Amino acid sequence: MNTGPINIVEGDQVRNENFLPGLHQPPSIIIIGLGNPILGDDGFGWEVARQLESQYPGMSNVFEIECASLGGLSLMERLIGHKIAILIDIVHLGQNPLGTLYCLPMEQLPDYSVGHTASSHDTTLRTAIQVGRSLGASLPDTIWVVGVETTNTYDFSEELSPPVAAAVPCAAQCILDLLNQFCIPAFKGE
Amino acid sequence: MQRISIDPITRLEGHGKIEIFLNEDGDVANTYFQIPELRGFERFCVGRPIEEMALLTNRICGVCPEAHHMAAAKAADAVYKVEPPPTGKKLRELLYSGFYFTDHTTHFYALGGPDFVMGPDAPVAERNILGVIHKVGLEIGGKVIQARKYGHTIVEMIGGRKVHPCTSIPGGLTKGITEDQRAEIEQMGRWGIEFAQFSLQLFNDIVLANKSYLDLILGDIYTHQTYSIGLVDENNKVNFYDGKVSVVAPDGERIGKYAPAEYTEWIAEHVEPWTYLKFPYLKKVGWKGFVDGKDSGVYFATPLSRLNAADGMATPLAQEQYEKFYSTLGGKPVHQRLAIHWARLIELLYAAERIVELATDPEITSPKFHTVPTEKPTEGVGIVEAPRGTLTHHYKTDERGIVTEANLIVGTTNNYAPITMSIKKAASSLIKKGTVNEGLLNMVEMAFRAYDPCFGCATHSLPGQMPLEITIRDAKGNSVEVVKQYC
Repeated sequence: MNTGPINIVEGDQVRNENFLPGLHQPPSIIIIGLGNPILGDDGFGWEVARQLESQYPGMSNVFEIECASLGGLSLMERLIGHKIAILIDIVHLGQNPLGTLYCLPMEQLPDYSVGHTASSHDTTLRTAIQVGRSLGASLPDTIWVVGVETTNTYDFSEELSPPVAAAVPCAAQCILDLLNQFCIPAFKGE
Repeated sequence: MQRISIDPITRLEGHGKIEIFLNEDGDVANTYFQIPELRGFERFCVGRPIEEMALLTNRICGVCPEAHHMAAAKAADAVYKVEPPPTGKKLRELLYSGFYFTDHTTHFYALGGPDFVMGPDAPVAERNILGVIHKVGLEIGGKVIQARKYGHTIVEMIGGRKVHPCTSIPGGLTKGITEDQRAEIEQMGRWGIEFAQFSLQLFNDIVLANKSYLDLILGDIYTHQTYSIGLVDENNKVNFYDGKVSVVAPDGERIGKYAPAEYTEWIAEHVEPWTYLKFPYLKKVGWKGFVDGKDSGVYFATPLSRLNAADGMATPLAQEQYEKFYSTLGGKPVHQRLAIHWARLIELLYAAERIVELATDPEITSPKFHTVPTEKPTEGVGIVEAPRGTLTHHYKTDERGIVTEANLIVGTTNNYAPITMSIKKAASSLIKKGTVNEGLLNMVEMAFRAYDPCFGCATHSLPGQMPLEITIRDAKGNSVEVVKQYC
């Protein structure tokens, strides 16, 4: 099993200073750890969210952070009222080794693997966002996905596989880096 | 022999696919619908307290956690041999009706409805909830979101949390509701009745008034003569939360009703070498293969089977619709599987009416919502109707209430055999002499979409709109054509 260095794939826009132009005030941000905490590596999102909460207990003043097992329309409904969303989940693109971390704007992921599109009788998050917007819901302009590559989600377990567990602190750091990009004073030492 | 593969492209590639084998004449010889199974749940449960099952099992999947919560809670009641007081039962049923209201609304407007509202031949880019909203109007789209919100709110008020309720414990609930909450729920229920009636009218105007849609529903391609099962109350009326499971033969004869604890006398599971999942069937009839008829133990468990298995609906407006349903479709039982969509809307109306009934029940705000268990825990079975089929939870515990054995038969698993049969029938009618009809993708999807299959219990995930890939192979296994449909 791969326990070597963590690969990190970042979206180009992360380092783009023009990202979110004019955003001077702390925005309304929601961070959601997605997944199923009893299905092996699918608990990744929850674990990252928990680590962020425990390491930075004051963060709740700056933005919302929570764990959820949602997808599609339900997830879209949870995002209403926020300007920025960061979703932490597992991803299966099959292009990189187990444990590879992705930090990408949602648009850069294939539609079928975004978020926790849990079932055959819901819709994908991207479609749900379109539905919400068409109905006039106030949805985030920016949605980032911090995801880890894995397929270990068929066995009931509360344990993450070693490569995925190793990616947890890196994912937390990715989120902190994103928050700095979003001009959050608390994370710029202001 | 030609081989056609239909692969749902999921983040778990290589799993969950339909294989269609053609004979030498190029006609369908057989179809195999394979879905992967989540492993180790029974082992995961063993060693944990029975009280935890209602919290743990609602994490099996994110689609119908409320159903798992209720089935596990009822099983835990049975393990402790404790009966919740009337208020406890009514509050659970009220929560559950709120869940049904959200779930059935979502299925009709987001998944099943597009086939009819947009039409089976509409471009895939339009055959989704966005297309529906575009066609029926933004105001109605807003109502759909409102309906979901109301259902979620009822679940949260009684269940303590949205989506994943946590208040059911052996003997009832940990909390009741206030008069203000009751009044709010009543108001939401009354709105829900109007919304459900509107949805039925929409179905009437768009589907029933369109001869080609009606022909599609009534046609042979989506028809199977199997047994129907569903929970009924003491008057043999449809009930989602409690009662006995009624079993009705393809000719309409009720062959019996079983209480949860008797399920092993009625349901057995058939194993096929080509799939992980087992095929439940009626033990008293026996497994005769994937075939229709009264001698075949294949049954289905859906909104349509619930209507077939009951003598009617327990609420007046839903009962009117029930009568219209059977008079339009030629009497009971109805076997045309696309009629499941219509049956689902009748259940939507029943759920809304039941919300109002329960919210106006004088006992609903009583503080007597829990009976303290006093018996030693042993073994128990809980059954509820999940929106997509009868859900059975069975646990054995030691004398401390620690789980030693667990067995679950989930909604979609019940329908594994009939879904397999529906896929074969759809494929057989569309593939002739090696020619694959362009409508295959959606027609096959429609075959299993009607069942509202939730592989969340049986598999981890599928994408929302079921992207499919069909690979047609020649006799040597070479790919001669690949048809992809990414939504």
